Formats: sequence, C-alpha cells, structure tokens
Amino acid sequence: MIKLGQQSDAKDLRPRLIGVAVFFIAGLLVLSVNLYRLMVVRYEEFNALSVDNQFKDVRLRAPRGLIRDRRGEVLVDARPSLDVFITPAFCQKCVAEVIPRLAEVLQWDEEQRARVEALLKAAHGPQRYQPLIAAVDISREEFDQLLARQFLLPGVDLEPVPHRSYRAGPTLAHILGYMNEITQDELTKLNGSLERPPYALGDYIGRRGVERGFEHAIRGTDGWVKHVVNARGEVMRDARGNLLRGGTSEAPAAGNNVVLSLDARLQAEAERAFPGTAGAVIAMETKTGFIRAIVSRPAFDPNEMTGRVSPKRVAQLSQDPLQPMVFRAGAEHYHPGSTFKVVTLLAALQSGVVTPSSTAVCNGGYTLGNRRWRCHNERGHGVVDAKRAIQVSCDTYFYRAADLMGIDPIANVGKQLGLGGPSNLGVAAEVPGVMPDTAYHNRVTPGGYTKGMALNTAIGQGDVNVTPLQLAVLYSAIGNKGHVLNPQIVQRIETPDGRVVETYAPKQVRQLEMTDEQHKLLIDGLVSVVNEPGGTATRSRSTEYTIAGKTGTAQVARLGAVRLKKEQMNYFERDHAWFAAFAPAEDPELTIVVLNEHGGHGGSDAAPTAAAVFAKYFELKKADSFALGEEWVPPRPPKPIIFAKPNPAAPADVSEPAVADVPLPPESTVQAPPGTP
Amino acid sequence: MMELSGERRSVAQLPWLLLAMTVLTTAVGIYNLASASRPPSAPMWVSQIVYFFIGSAIAVVVAWIDPKLLERLAIPIYLFNLAALIALKFFGHKAKGAESWFVVGPIRVQPAEFMKLGMLLMMAKYFHDDHRPQQPTYGFLRLIPPAVIALVPTALVLVQPDLGTALMMAFTTITVLLFARPSLPVLIVLGVMAVAGAGVLWNDYLRPQYTEERFTIVRHKLKKHQDARITGWLDPTSDLKGSNYHAMQSKIAVGSGGMNGKGWMEGTQTGLRYLPEQHTDFIFSVFAEEQGYLKCLGLMTLYAGLLLAALGVAAGAKDRFGAFVAVGIAAMIFWQVFENIGMVTGLLPITGITLPLLSYGGSSMVSVLIGIGLLVNVSMKRQRSGL
Repeated sequence: MIKLGQQSDAKDLRPRLIGVAVFFIAGLLVLSVNLYRLMVVRYEEFNALSVDNQFKDVRLRAPRGLIRDRRGEVLVDARPSLDVFITPAFCQKCVAEVIPRLAEVLQWDEEQRARVEALLKAAHGPQRYQPLIAAVDISREEFDQLLARQFLLPGVDLEPVPHRSYRAGPTLAHILGYMNEITQDELTKLNGSLERPPYALGDYIGRRGVERGFEHAIRGTDGWVKHVVNARGEVMRDARGNLLRGGTSEAPAAGNNVVLSLDARLQAEAERAFPGTAGAVIAMETKTGFIRAIVSRPAFDPNEMTGRVSPKRVAQLSQDPLQPMVFRAGAEHYHPGSTFKVVTLLAALQSGVVTPSSTAVCNGGYTLGNRRWRCHNERGHGVVDAKRAIQVSCDTYFYRAADLMGIDPIANVGKQLGLGGPSNLGVAAEVPGVMPDTAYHNRVTPGGYTKGMALNTAIGQGDVNVTPLQLAVLYSAIGNKGHVLNPQIVQRIETPDGRVVETYAPKQVRQLEMTDEQHKLLIDGLVSVVNEPGGTATRSRSTEYTIAGKTGTAQVARLGAVRLKKEQMNYFERDHAWFAAFAPAEDPELTIVVLNEHGGHGGSDAAPTAAAVFAKYFELKKADSFALGEEWVPPRPPKPIIFAKPNPAAPADVSEPAVADVPLPPESTVQAPPGTP
Repeated sequence: MMELSGERRSVAQLPWLLLAMTVLTTAVGIYNLASASRPPSAPMWVSQIVYFFIGSAIAVVVAWIDPKLLERLAIPIYLFNLAALIALKFFGHKAKGAESWFVVGPIRVQPAEFMKLGMLLMMAKYFHDDHRPQQPTYGFLRLIPPAVIALVPTALVLVQPDLGTALMMAFTTITVLLFARPSLPVLIVLGVMAVAGAGVLWNDYLRPQYTEERFTIVRHKLKKHQDARITGWLDPTSDLKGSNYHAMQSKIAVGSGGMNGKGWMEGTQTGLRYLPEQHTDFIFSVFAEEQGYLKCLGLMTLYAGLLLAALGVAAGAKDRFGAFVAVGIAAMIFWQVFENIGMVTGLLPITGITLPLLSYGGSSMVSVLIGIGLLVNVSMKRQRSGL
C-alpha cells in the first residue's frame, strides 16, 4: 500500500526548485560576464602582461678593469671565482635540508651557517626573488660536488663571478683598496630610477683606494640578453639546449684599466728597505707630484677583505693597537720634528730676521722669559749660521729665529707649502694636519697664544702636525723651488685594448716665491746634512749622486729628567724617526719621505731606507734607459769630503733627540750660559 | 509490494543527463590536466583517470544502497565524519600551513571533502523527519538544529584553517535553509545579517582612513595571509609582488586567453609556471588561457546542465530526504564552481577550493562522484515509487 501523504511528501518543494535553478544560472552568468570582461574586453592588456612575463633581461656582467703600475705590471686583476647563490623564494626546506647539505660540502662552521640563515630570514617580499651570496670562491672540487647534488639543492645556483685578486697582498692595500657587497642604501642612491640599473643586489663595489675612487672607470657597463624565463627566473631552453626565442641583447662593455704612476720594482724595494713596525715611505717625483712608491705599514690584506670577511676578523683589525686599517701616509698626522726646520728657516729668511750669513751662538739651549728651551746637543753647537743650523739641526738657532719673528710668518710659509690642509692624493682619506698660528692658539689653547708656542713650532713640536704626504709635497717644493704640487698616483685610464682614455697631467697647487739665494741656502743646508761631516744623515751619503735631506726625531712622550735609550722605553712612547729628502740635489727628480713610527732617530732609523730607495731608483733608471736605448746621463756625484774620513765607529751623525718645551720649575731658572742671545 | 519494488531497479531509471554531464566534464578536466601537468611535471591526468574509476565504483555502491538504509545511516556517517575532523587536529598532516590531510601510506585523504556530504545527509534527514504539512515555514526554533548540524563541522574546517571549504559549506547551508522555506522573520534577520556582513567588510577594509589606528571589528582576528587576500581582492593593485602576486598572475592567464585561447599545451603562464597550484585550485586559469572564452562558455554550459540535472533529480524525488539531498549536492557543486572561478578571475578573494571534476585530486574527485552517486540513488527511488 502506498500512503498518499508520503508520496506527495516533496511535491510542495517543486516551485522553489525553479527559484534555486534561476539562482544557479544567474550565478554562472555572473561568472560568464566576468570572464567576458577579462578575456575579451581586457584581452590586449592581459596578453601584453603575459608576454612581458615570458621575457626577462638577464644581466651579463662586465669584467672589471685592471690596475697596473707605470710599466704595465698588473697589480690587481679579476680572475673568475665560483660563487654560491641562494634564491630564498625557490629554496624549499632551505634551513632544514639545503643549508645542512651546503654546509657539509663547503665545510662551514657554525658561524658561517648562522650568517647564511640570518640572511635568508632577513629576505622578505620581492627580496626573496633576489639571489643572495652564500659562499664566495669555492674550489673546483667543491663545485663538482655541489653540481652532482644539484637536484637536492633547490634554489642554489653556482655562478662564475669575476673576483678581484690583489697580487701583492697587503702591499699598497690602502692605495688599491678592496671590494665588498653593495649596501641597500648605495643601491637606492646609485640606481636611482634608471631603467637598466647599473648595480644589483649582491654586486661588489670598490671600497677605499683606487677601487673606490675610480669605480666609475673600472666598473664597465653590464650587458643584457633577453631570455625566455619561467616564473622561477630560470632560463628556458629547448630540447637541443638552445635558448628559447632569444631576443635582442647588448654585450657588456669591459671596465677600463687604471694605470698608476707607481713602479712595482721601486715599491718592492721600499717595502723591503723599510725596517719599521709602523710608518710610511713615500717616493714622489719632485717635479710632477706623481707617486713612484708608497708604503703604509701595517696594512691589511685586500684579498681577505674582498668578499666575505668574518665580523670577528673585522673586529680584530679595528681593535689592533697598531691600527692596520689606517692609511699612515695621509690619514694620520705626526709632529714633523726637525724636518720642519726648513719651513722655519725659509720663514725667517723671508721675514728678514736672519740672513744667510747671520749667526747665532748655541750653548745648549735658549731662554725665553723664565723658561729654558733645550737644544738636543746639551753642550751647545757654538757659533751657528743658517746652513750649519740645518746641517747639525741646531734647535737654539731656530728658537731664536722664532723668538724674533713669532709664529705667524712660520705658519704662513707652512700653509703655502701645503701644511694644515689635505694634500688631495684623491684615492684615500686624508687628514689636514695642523699648522698652528696665533689665531689657532687663541682659539684652541687655554690662555691663548704665547711666544713659547712659536719656539716649539719652530722645531716641529708643539701643535704642528703633518702627514708624510704633506711632507713629501713640502720637500718637493723646496727641491723644485716653490712649486707646490698636488700629489697624484693615477697616471692614466686606458681601455682594455690599451687606448688611452684620459691622462692626468701634473697639477700645481700654488707657487711659493723664494729668491735664488734663499733656495740655494736651503739646498746647501740639506746637502750638508747628508754629505758633509757633522751632518745628521751622513751615514746615508751616496757617492754617485747628491742627496739633499733632513732628519727629524719627533718626540711623542714628554722627556723625563734622564734621557732613556729607545730600548728602555715603551713602544708607544718612543720617538718617531723622520727623513725627508730629494735627489739629485742640483736637479731633483725624486723626493722621499720616510716615517718610522716609534722608530727612534731620523738619521739611523729613517734615512737608510730613503738611501736604499734612492739607490734603487737610480739603478732602475739606468737599467731602463739602457733597455730603451736612451742615452744614460749619470747624475753628478757629490763633492768629495775633504776633511777627515768618516769614522764608522764614531757617531758620525749626531742624531738629535727631540727637544720640546721642557718647562723649568718657575723658581729655579736654569742659568743661561754665556753667549745666549 | 513495496519491498518487492525496492529490488526493481534498472538501467532505464538512471538520470542519463546527469551522468552524461558528469562524464563529459570529467573528460574535459582530464584533457586540461594533461596540459597543466605537462613535462617535466608528473603526468597527473593518468592518476586522475584512476581516481575517476575509484570514485565511480564507490558512487555505484552508494547509488545501490537502499534509500531507507541511507537515511538511517545519516547520523552515523555524520558523527564519523565529525570524529575524523577532530582526529585531524591530532593526527593530521600539515601541508601549506593547514592541517587538512590524513596520510596513510601513499594515500592522502582530506576529510573535509567528505564531511560536507555527511553534513548534507544529516540536514536532509532533519528536514525529512521534521516535516509538518500544517506548518510549512520554518521559524527560528525549528532552524536551530540544522544550523547546529552545519555550524559544528564548518567551524572545525575553518580552524584547520581551510577558509575556502568552510565558506562553501556555509553558503551551501544557507542555500539549503532558504530552500526549506524559512519564515519571514528569519528572512529579515538573514537579510540584516547579510547587510551587517557587508558593513563589517566596509568598515574593516574600505572605509576611508583618517587615523593611524583603524577600528576594526573582525579584521584583527584574521590570519595575516587571509587579511592580505581580502585586501588584495578589494584592491587588486596592492602588493603585486607579494600576496597579490598569484591573484594577478591568474588574472593575466585568464585574460590573455582571449576569445580562442592560446591552444592546448601552449599556455605561457601555465608553461612558465606563473600559476600557483595550477593543477588543483588554479586549474580553471589553465583552461581559460589555453581554450579561450568560447570554450569557457561551453564549460559553463556543462556545469549548468549538471546543476539543472541535479535539480531535476530533486524535483522528481519521492520524499523530502531525497529532495534535500539533491538540492544540497547541487548547491555544493554550484558554490564550489562559483567560488573557484570567482577566485581565479579576481571576483572573490583567494581561498583554497577545488573546481569540481576539473581540479586534480583524489578526495575532491571521489567526493563529487559520491555526490553524483547519491543523486542517482535519489533518482532511482523516484522511478521505483512511480510504479
């Protein structure tokens, strides 16, 4: 039996089913209309976007230019290095699986692993599609191992990248600089809104030195090629390995080479001959300002600094008490000591307080007011004229001159010779040094300027501070009769095939006027320092050419009552040894400044380095002129020493310890020996 | 006589249109999947054929179960599915941030796909048992049980989190409730709730912002990726490289298909893998890109035929249980189609949901086919009772 009620159970629902059907059809119509809007109305727009998606400009890196010395010897090159990149977006199970596999092959320690993991974590949003550098310069063996495991390493790419190689290691580190990864800020600044941005995340950029200063010239221009790529950015190839539908491309333009004025051979000799733990050696062409050799010690290894350097190592370098990162030739200043006396003498001559023939009597010191300034020779030098004052470095003579003219004429000549302002070598940071004058002391010194400050300045102590580079410019200006030059180290820029793009001419900053008489007196004085008995650097005399120079011993710590030997003092309290010279004296070609930081005396600890570099310079010059078939004109030998033969046992060079303001007890005035002015 | 007629089922009583639409749509799906999973991908269309046969076999069994037994099994099936959803919390496999899978050896099962069927059976049973011819409309009190029946599993799916399936279940439930003829006050309240929902959306996302801190009602409770999807839906140009990237790439794929499509296996968005989940959730983008607008209309027609056939089954149902099961399954398929295509074309926010019979996946395929099996079951009961 069939119950009627049960049979008609669902009949009442039927009209409403029509409503449901209408609703469903309406829903599908909405979808269809929307599809029409996208696929027919906006077809062009979306089709263009889909075409755009298929092609990507893949960058072709331009090889970076080389850095060469004046003779073409390669100082910095770019060899290919195999680098490991990780693209976070494509690196599945990165931290859990991929990183441990990489770490195993590349033998990472915990620190390296943590660094890469931190980098991965830091990448957000679109950055996740940018490859990160995970390892630099892996070995061929490691490369093969990673290649074999390629399928276990999603998102990991191996790419040959030109890697800088600084062939001479730490030599020239401050001049050449190094490279490391560009920062986000620099990217924003350098790329601006350019369509083809010159830099990409992960690129290296020059830091310090020529690498930084000439980045624009050495970098070159990256090329690009249009490739069909998938959503992961992988270049698609067809079955035969050809690139799919490759479009237009532009080849990269290699960076230009930078040719330095350095001579690698002379540089090597300067490095070898310099005995100091710390300090600087500069060999500069006297008439042009081009640097032939430059040592700043201690230094770092740019090969180590380029690429990944562990934070531990950076901390170690920056905390090293000897400060290897500091460019001592230009970015550190020192008391010039007696090397400054040429400035004082020139100022005194020009202001007329002394004449070439006027004399002073040195009895071991000079008294001003109730204080006594000691000469380094406590027994006194007796009667001293200008030339002899330079030769024996008589402090008393310059105290007197300073007392007579005050500090400002000295400062005036010093500034004209380039002191108190950077020398603008241009490839490394420099400090301006200090050339004090009345205004300076009134501003800086409590109690303002007093005459005593002029006396200290006159012998290169007090507040006067110079960089070795400034001193090289200064002595060149003495040698070339007043041409104050801008030191330069880059001679020219060349294309990779050797075409000259730009040549740098010598630059003169200013001209210091001096009479022939004044010039001759200065030269004679400096020649006598090296070449005449009693001079402070006669040990470094050459018999083949005439060196004109001046020693200096800059006091670092205050002198006690008893003079200590170098070995008895703490390293950081020892004197700085200076020697500044040029040769040949009659027509100077090369100026050399040696600073041996905490090295002792100028005559014994700085001058021999300069002598060795001069010797090498003339030897190379002679060899080169023969090689080039030029006529060799030897320099004129110095006048023979007529007096006694220098006795090596005797202290031929009375190296002068620095003497500075030694305040005397106010009550107990030291009696001035007779004859003191 | 009734008992006897219960045995009298024959091939002639099958809903032929429904079956034809199902097979045709599945065939289109497999053809499309062959392109979506082109080398170097695994050839998923082969597995899809296997899933189709597995699903068909289960559907045949479901179709042949005695309707009375099915009705009686509604409660145990519902409870079993609930238990499975809860067990997922403890034994589930996490994939893409959601715990939606049971993994037994090589088989991965997604309980939510079956839960929705259990929920529909349970609701159908309620509306069948609660039928009062003297009170044709449903007031608040009488709607509480079906609301609870729907809410519990929907909430469990929502916390997995599987927003797409939960929304689909909610919309299906509302469709079924509306079909059950609610009273006027209920309709008014539902209308007010819809307006309030739109209001919340406006307040949380669209209201012009004058202060740093926006007062939000629901937004702060959403997960970050969910929030981003809603933002991206309302403003497609925001964050194109980030959360909106996939939505944009999908629109590009669909839009670049044009009138006639790029051709089978020729889709560039598909071939260069710009589409996320291109063989499951975004399968329609592949179809649209390669086949073009005209064939999309064809696909829409297939779905329309399928839905109308399902409603036809409902219209011929002998009892309310059958009618409600049929309407529920039709609504489920409709909402899945609407949500999925709406999402890949930028009409709706991106939530994970498969396209019935086109998306790759065993659970999805089998659950749709079980639904078809249920429809066949209902249909055959009608024929028998018609004797």
